[in-house]
Amino acid sequence: MFLINCPYCGERDQSEFSSGGEAHIERPKQPTELSDDEWADFLFMRKNIKGIQFERWNHSHGCRKWFNLIRDTSNDKIHGIYKMGEKPPKV
Amino acid sequence: MLDIKLPEFEKKVYPELELSLLEPSYKINLRGKNRDFFTKAGKLLSIMLPIESNTSANIKNINALWLSPDEWLIYGKDIDKNLEINLNNEISKLKYGSVTNVSDQWVIINFKGKNIFEVLSKGSPFNFNDFKGKKNVVVQTLLNNVDVILHHQEINDLNLFVRKSFSEHLWLWINDSSRFI
Ligand SMILES: [Zn+2]
Repeated sequence: MFLINCPYCGERDQSEFSSGGEAHIERPKQPTELSDDEWADFLFMRKNIKGIQFERWNHSHGCRKWFNLIRDTSNDKIHGIYKMGEKPPKV
Repeated sequence: MLDIKLPEFEKKVYPELELSLLEPSYKINLRGKNRDFFTKAGKLLSIMLPIESNTSANIKNINALWLSPDEWLIYGKDIDKNLEINLNNEISKLKYGSVTNVSDQWVIINFKGKNIFEVLSKGSPFNFNDFKGKKNVVVQTLLNNVDVILHHQEINDLNLFVRKSFSEHLWLWINDSSRFI
């Protein structure tokens, strides 16, 4: 269990949030021009690294807003939180 | 309001805690973000929608709760039915925002007394330390894993909003917990 500082509501318990997986994966502009492998890459393949990862989170039991979070997956330490559409801060 | 059967919870009294159902109440969900939306809503409700997170505004029998940067819950007893019609005509129909009557979606349980937060703390991940000392504050959180909106309107006087289908279960849980304060 850890605390997450929702950019809208403030500090709340992790149980109020849902993880939305890796952030900053851009949808291909012309999906029909991709090969099956490239499309599968976009849909399914995630880095799933041990270390600092950029993720999307939703405050599902609070304000229901999406935001981005930088988390070290090895120890759950949070290195930054920023709103959707904002540039990620330097870590 | 539709003709929907409301739950029947009898008033309960525990040491320094009173629980009662605050129904029927009128509830409207408001969504919008542009300046026209705020102007229209402010004029029709005679209340400025609170923009500070986790707060509420109140005038006479109308309460406006902050739910997110572009969503509010308006509620109260004996609200003039024309309010919803006017909001619909001047906000929804003109596409400044959306207006939804959620009177039958939420059930309000009123808590009074010094032991409110003793009971809520038993089943919520929210830290009530600062919250309990302030009035006109709002939080959306979990209670016994059920989504709730808590409106601390006066010190030791709180309204809890729970979705109607969960209300009976949560009412029983609250009463169970209140027996062991
Ligand atoms: Zn939030």
